[in-house]
Amino acid sequence: MSKFEVHNLEVHKGQTVKIKGQISGHAQSFCINLGKSASDVGLHFNPRFSEGTIVCNSKKSNSWDSEERHKHMCFSKGSEVKFSIELHGDKFQVKLPDGHQISFANRHKYEKITYMSVEGDFKVTSFKYD
Amino acid sequence: MAGLVINNLNLKPGKCMGVKGLVPKDCKSFVINIGKDSSNVVLHFNARFDHEGDVNTIVCNSKEAEVWGTEQRETTFPFNQGDIAEICFSCDKSEVKVKLPGGHEFKFPNRQSLDIINYLSVDGIQIKGLNFD
Repeated sequence: MSKFEVHNLEVHKGQTVKIKGQISGHAQSFCINLGKSASDVGLHFNPRFSEGTIVCNSKKSNSWDSEERHKHMCFSKGSEVKFSIELHGDKFQVKLPDGHQISFANRHKYEKITYMSVEGDFKVTSFKYD
Repeated sequence: MAGLVINNLNLKPGKCMGVKGLVPKDCKSFVINIGKDSSNVVLHFNARFDHEGDVNTIVCNSKEAEVWGTEQRETTFPFNQGDIAEICFSCDKSEVKVKLPGGHEFKFPNRQSLDIINYLSVDGIQIKGLNFD
C-alpha cells in the first residue's frame, strides 16, 4: 500500500501529534515518520509484530542513523490504537496505547515538524495536533 | 506559506472525512481541495469572507487535468473569523456531499466520477485535526 503522506504540517516544539488508526488483522509491521521530508526524519517509529519489537530510528539526507529497540508491544493485530507523540527540543516522547512511554532523542534538534508519513499495516482514522 | 497537503488518503466511496481547523481572525478566504492530485480536483471548496468580489459565499468548482470547470455558489455561510470550523466531506462516483458547521448540507457533482479520494490540500485555515471513518 502507498504511504499516507502529510506535507506542510506545522507542529512546533511543545506540541503533540495524536494519531489513531486500525492495525490490520495480518499486520507484519507499520511505521510512523515525523520530520522535514521523506529523507529527513526525526522519528521513525516502527512496531514489528514478527520480532515483538518497536524499532525507532532517525534519518538524515536519506541515511539511517542508529536504531533503538524496545521490547514493548502493547497492541495487537486487528485492533484500533492511539499514539501521541510530543515534540520537545531534546526528544520525541511517544505515548503508547497502554500509557507506557518511549522517548527518542531529537537528534537533529528539530524545532518544528513539517512532514509526517504512515506506512505499512496501519490505516489512519484520525489525526490531530495542538 | 504553503498549506497542508496529504497524499494517498485512500478515502473510499461513502466514507466521511472531517476537516477541523481554526479560521484566522483576518481570514479573507480559505480553500479545501479533494481529489486525485493537485491537477485533478473533484471538489475545490473556497469559503470567501471577502475575496474576488464575493462576500460570505462558498464557491465550489472542479479541476480536471489543470482545467477548471464551472463554478457553483452556495449562499449558506456558517463560518466566522477566529472560530474553529469543522467540515465533513463524503464522496461517491456521482457526487460529493459536504456537511457544514451547524449541520447544513449541500452536494456537488463528481464530474470525474472519481471513486477514491487520495488527495487533500488545505490553504488559509490552521488545521487542528482530520478524521476518516
